[in-house]
Formats: sequence, structure tokens, C-alpha cells
Amino acid sequence: MNEVIEPNLGETLVFWICGGLAVVGALGMVISRKAVHSALWIALTMINLAILYVANSAPFLGMVQVVVYTGAVMMLFLFVLMVVGVDSSDSLIETIKGQRVAALLLGVGLTIMLVAGLGAGLSGAGTIGLDAANAADGGNVQGLARLMFSDYIIAFQATGALLITAAVGAMVLTHREYWQPRKSQRELSQDRFTDGGHPGNKPSPGVYARHNAVDTPALLPDGSTSAISIPAPLRARDDARAIDVNDITNVRRLTEGESE
Amino acid sequence: MESSRFIVLPAPLIHEAPEHYACIGREGFHKRAKSFSYEQGAIDPVNVYTPILILGILAFGFAAFSIIIATLTGPKRYNRAKVDAYECGIEPTPQPMGGGRFPVKYYLTAMMFIIFDIELVFLYPWAVAFDQLELFGFLAMALFLFNLAVPFVYEWRRGGLEWD
Amino acid sequence: MSGSQFGLFGNDPWWLVIGKSVAVFGLLVLLTLFTIWWERRVVSRMQNRIGPNRVGPFGLLQSLMDGFKLAFKEEILPKSAHVGVYWIAPVISATAAFVAFAVIPFGPTVSIFGVETPLQLTDFPVSVLYVLAIASIGVYGLVLAGWASGSTYPLLGGLRSTAQVISYEIAMGLSFVGVFLYAGSMSTSEIVIAQEPIWYAVILLPSFLIYVTSMVGETNRAPFDLPEAEGELVGGFHTEYSSLKFALFFLAEYINMVTVSALATTLFLGGYLAPWPLSLWESANTGWWPVLWWLIKVQLFIFLFIWLRATLPRMRYDQFMKFGWKILIPISIVWIFIIAIARLFRDSVSVTNTQLLVGGAIVIAVLLIGSWLFQLRADKRDAAAELELDERRARPFDANAGGYPVPPLPGERFEYTSRRAMAAGTVATTTVAVAAPETTNEEAPDA
Repeated sequence: MNEVIEPNLGETLVFWICGGLAVVGALGMVISRKAVHSALWIALTMINLAILYVANSAPFLGMVQVVVYTGAVMMLFLFVLMVVGVDSSDSLIETIKGQRVAALLLGVGLTIMLVAGLGAGLSGAGTIGLDAANAADGGNVQGLARLMFSDYIIAFQATGALLITAAVGAMVLTHREYWQPRKSQRELSQDRFTDGGHPGNKPSPGVYARHNAVDTPALLPDGSTSAISIPAPLRARDDARAIDVNDITNVRRLTEGESE
Repeated sequence: MESSRFIVLPAPLIHEAPEHYACIGREGFHKRAKSFSYEQGAIDPVNVYTPILILGILAFGFAAFSIIIATLTGPKRYNRAKVDAYECGIEPTPQPMGGGRFPVKYYLTAMMFIIFDIELVFLYPWAVAFDQLELFGFLAMALFLFNLAVPFVYEWRRGGLEWD
Repeated sequence: MSGSQFGLFGNDPWWLVIGKSVAVFGLLVLLTLFTIWWERRVVSRMQNRIGPNRVGPFGLLQSLMDGFKLAFKEEILPKSAHVGVYWIAPVISATAAFVAFAVIPFGPTVSIFGVETPLQLTDFPVSVLYVLAIASIGVYGLVLAGWASGSTYPLLGGLRSTAQVISYEIAMGLSFVGVFLYAGSMSTSEIVIAQEPIWYAVILLPSFLIYVTSMVGETNRAPFDLPEAEGELVGGFHTEYSSLKFALFFLAEYINMVTVSALATTLFLGGYLAPWPLSLWESANTGWWPVLWWLIKVQLFIFLFIWLRATLPRMRYDQFMKFGWKILIPISIVWIFIIAIARLFRDSVSVTNTQLLVGGAIVIAVLLIGSWLFQLRADKRDAAAELELDERRARPFDANAGGYPVPPLPGERFEYTSRRAMAAGTVATTTVAVAAPETTNEEAPDA
């Protein structure tokens, strides 16, 4: 009949190493000053949790943990950090009144729940073992599928509803209405030429190996300078440099056929 | 028995070869699958994943070694312009406070990614166990996908999927 | 059905586990060096050049020497870089690229020094999902490299490539669903064996095409190499990386190419199984021969990558995202439904071929009529919009309609001065005033 075995050395090692790293990640997340560093620490925690799931014969859950949390949710966090400005530091002023008390209460509640769950699990009521549980439906994934589409069908559909809310909410909050229909490539090119824009490549900036090259205007064959050879951002920032009058006289002399 | 967490399978459970498998493949594969898998017992998670760990250590070691060795072998000639951010030769653009802001579009893309990612995660077990789930599984998934199609179509129609 | 193959894995003696890991590692490094050389040679031929042919026979050692050269290049640490993350990013990229390869099967069970072992590092019930999971960790390398450089172009490039990779990961993931449905498993070795009657590229052709398209987008290769669009973003996320740190990103890109090619082979082209005329030969699928078939198939995909790069111009970013979200993803979902329904009919409902054909005809007829009605409605709406636009064009724009400043509606026109033109004007005068008094041939500043 069933024979009780202790976790082997490998499992024990995995538990202590990954468990430790997960805790380190969680602490790092709280302690870090930079938001991006916090996001990285929490990614470390997620990956270690995934390894623990896999070590406990739940490979699908482990992979999903990485794909969804590390891959998608944390990536959303990173994107949000960049959207609002990567290095903006957290404001330490509490905007929601009594949030510390609420956080404390929720933390205590979570602890009670975890301890209760763990206690129920350790009392060993009705355990059949991980391998037997996985083998019951022909595999880990098949077992999950059977549960998802029978006992947990309501939760499954509710997830769908939750996702709709999230998607539509994100859409509504970030949407920018277009006033004009977007121009196609053809219309853009037509606009460019009918308004008398520059048809070809603009002249490249003057390269004198003296400054940062692109901020110096090109000299045209007759010795005059071309303002459009300087990139527009530099012109807007007033970063364009003047060029040496001697250069111009030299060019003019050369074009008029004089030898140096 | 009370404190048990790990229990070895009773023998018959392991030996039960699903008949579906036998119809796949020619004689050679069938024979091999039979002679190796079922007699060996359940998967030992640690052994199956050890090769990944070893490959990971090799790869990490290689990458770390490359980075360290490059600091030793490469020359070091300091130059103020060299350590500036590279912007094709012009003075680096002054960064606004907070490192600059990005189009909120990226946020929307990431949100859509999460939604489709979760959809994928539900689709996979459904696909693997499709034959066992039968019509009910199909209808449940159809309803789920229809639910997710609603925001997708809404977003599409309002121009949320346009990039410019 | 699952669990049948897994007894094969996890039983190797320790020396074989280490040996196989080192072999996979070595194979990936060699394949990378070879692929870089091969790409340069093929692209050269397509452009009427010869390509690297000096170092070693046929120039084969060129990429190795380039690697050595990079080791002796100066490492430049930009002063705005976030040091820790800047160093970790290439390590994440390279490690993830290597590790993803662990579940790719190159052959059936062989005997190595008297030990029967499958030619695959490891396999478990969710190994294809494992590849996706590792790929999503690899993305961190890109986004962190972009952020940690503390420079504008890498940040833009990193964000862009991340948005691109995650968009195409969805299409890629959806293309797997058909395979899982037919194979009834997510394990790579089982999927290969399940393809023995027929390759999935044949019966799941749309899935295969979607996968091939999205794998190019996923690896940031031409024509989808927008993160490295030189004209816009310099080098993309690795602009600020030099020396061997750059080499690691380069390595990761090529290993990812090999991995997605190998995954395509595994899921759609029967993995290591011999192709048709060869499969008639009795021992084509035994011993070490399958490794050769596997290698040929993977090389075909790599050649496809190179061919695409030499042939197609880069896409525009908006077109690219539109292609991913509006074409690949909806088609994948509809296709999943079609195969699921087909499967359902085959399994649980008994229908004759005539019934199936009649049903198909009815569905097609409904779709045709529906699209015709839809078009009719759209035409009517467009005509109405056009009429309204004409009306608006006719009347002058009032910027203070009803006492409030309002933006112009579509079709209305108003005069304004471009800020760029103003800025250009001032610069032109200052520059000209100092340097050349008689500037005459200035063209109109770009408006």
C-alpha cells in the first residue's frame, strides 16, 4: 500500500534556496529606492515561487506563474514606470487617510488565512499525494483542464468578465480621440509636395571636424550657408553654430579658380 | 500517515498505459515508450529539471566570464565625449526630470498583452484535454473567448490599436 | 496519454546529464558562430559580393575572430548608466537564450556508452510553455538594457522592442493551440512522435504560417527589425553597449533564432523525423540519423531568416503593430475555432461528408451575404460623412464658436504658424548674419 517518504535532499535544497531567494526578493522590493529596481526584485520573487510550484509537481502552474506574472504583469509595471517617467521617486505623503491601519489589518488577515490554510494542509486530511493527484486525469495539465471546466467553471468565466473590465477600463482611461481621419502615406506625400516642401534629401550638415559636426551648417557651392542642413531640433534649440568666415572665403576662392 | 506530504503511487496507477498512445507512431516508438516509461515509475522532479539547472549555470558562467574578462583585456582610454550618451555626435539631449515620459499607448499594449496572455493560459489546458472535455468544454471556451472579443472589438473600433 | 514519454527523462546517470548539457551549450555556441558566417555569406551572394572568406577555410573562423576582437575592444560605461542593471541585462539575455533550448529534441533514443538515452536534454508535460516562459524572461534583457543605458535612443529602442516582442508572443502562443489540440500534449518529444503519420505543417498550415511570421517578429529580425531601425534609433537597445557585453546581445539574438527555428521544426515539421522519401528507408528514424534530418530542417528555417533579411525592406512601426494585432491575432483565434469545431465533429458527432459540405456551403453563403450587407451599410455611412465634410469645408472656421475657443472639426481649415518654421527662421537669420552676408539660395524653411 501507500508508503510515506520524506522529501529527498534535492527537494529540501530547492525549498530552502528558492524560498530564501523569494524572501530576499520581497524584502528588496520594499527596500529599493528606485521603482525599476523594485520591479526587478519582485520579478525574482515570482521566478522563485514558480520554481517552488514546479518542485511540488505543479509544472503548469509554475510556467504560468512566469509567463503571466513575470512576463506580462511585471512588464506592464515596467511600462507604467516608463510612461510616468522612469526615475520619478515615490511621494512619501499619504494621500489616502488611514491606509496604514488598513494595510496592517489586511496583513494580519492574510497571516491568519495562511496559517489556517497551512495548518489544514499539514494535518494531512485526505491527502493522496502529488503524483497520484496528477495521474488521476492522465497528467497535470489534463487534471487542471478537467477541474477548470467542471468545478471551477464559474470562476473561469468570472475571470473573463474581470478581464473585460480591465481592458475596457484601460482603454477608456488612456484613449485619445482623433479629430481628423488619419492621413495615409499617399496623402502625407502629396501634402509634402503640394505645399512646396523640400522634395529630395536635404543637404547634410557641414563636416569640419571641429565641433559636433551636425550643428554646423553646410556650405553651398557658391560659399553661402544652408540653414536647412541643420537638423530641425538643433535649430529649435538654437544650438546651431556659426562657421568661420575664413572657410567661406577659402571656398569662394577655390570655386573661382584661384590656386592656394 | 498523518504528517505525510509525499506518497509514492500505488503500482497499478503508474502502469496503466493510456490506449490513445498506442495508435500513434509505428512499432519502434511504441515499443520504446512501453519498455522505458511505465516501468520506471513517476517522474522525479529534481532529476528532470537538473539538466536545465546545469545548462543555466553554464550559460550564466559563460556570460559572467565574458563580462569580467572584457574588463581585463580591453584598453582603457578615458575621453569625456566617449562616456556621454550617444546621440549621433550632437550634445546629448537634456533629459527632463524623471527620465522622460512615453506614449500611454505602450501601457495599453501591455494591458492587451496581459489579457491575451491569460487567454492563452486558459486555452492551453483546454486544447490539451480537448477530447476529454467534449462539447461542454468547447462551449465554455467559446463563451470565454467571446467575452474577451468584446473589449478587443471595442478597442479596435475606437482606434485603440492604431499606432502613429 | 501524457506521462508516456516522461519516464524516458530524468534517468540519466550524472555524467551523461553533464555531458548532454555541455553538448547542448557547445552546439548553440557553434551554431551561432556558423549562422553569423552563413548569414554574411548568403547575404553577400544575394548582393553580388563574396563575403568573409579570409579567416580559416571559406572564412568559417571569421565570427570566432570577431568575437576575440570584441574582447580586446574598450568597454565604455556611459556616465548616465545605472551600473548594476546595465551589467545584468546582457547576462539575462544570454542566459535565457541558452536555457530555452533545453527542451528541444534532436533525435530519438540512442545508446551512449551503453546507456539508452533520448537525444534531448530534458522534457516534461509543459515544455512548450516552458519555452514561452523563458522567452518572457529574456524580454527583460531588452527592456533593462534600454533603461539602464540612461540614454534616449536605447530607451526608445528597448521599449519598442518589448512592445513588439510581447505583441508577437501572443500570435505565436495562439499558433501553438492547434498543435496541442492535435497532439493532446505540450511536451516536445510527444509532439514530435505524434507527427509520425503526418506533419502538422500540412494539416495545420495556417498555424504554421502564423508561427513562422510571428517568430520573425519575436526575434526582432528583418523585416521586423524595428528596434534596430538605424535611421531612427541608431542601434536600438544596445546602442550604449560595447565590447563583450554587446557580443552577448548578439549571441542571444542568434541563439534565439536557432531556438525558434528548432521549435518550428519540432512543432510543425516533425522534429527529427525523416521527411517523406527518406522515411521509406527502414532505419531513417533510428540511431543518429535523425540528428541530421533535424539539423537540415533547422538550417532551412535559418536560411529563411537570412533570405527574408536580404529581400524585404523594414516595415513601418504602425504597420507592424497593425499586422500583429489586427491580422495575426484575429486570424489565429478564428482558426482555433475552426479546428476545434472540426475536431468536435470528428469525435462526437457523426456526420457524412455530404452533410459537412452542405453545412460548409451554408456557412460560406451566410458570410458572403453578411459581408455584402455590411459593405452596403458602410458605403451609406461614408457617403453621409462625405456630405457633412463638404458642408463644413464650405463655411469659414470660427475659432471662438459660442464664445469658447474650439479646435477645428474635420474638414474645417484655419491659418496657423508652425513653431518649427518660426524656430528655423530665427536660426537661419542668426547663422547667416555671422557667416555669410549675401545668402541668396536659401530654400523655404521646411514647414
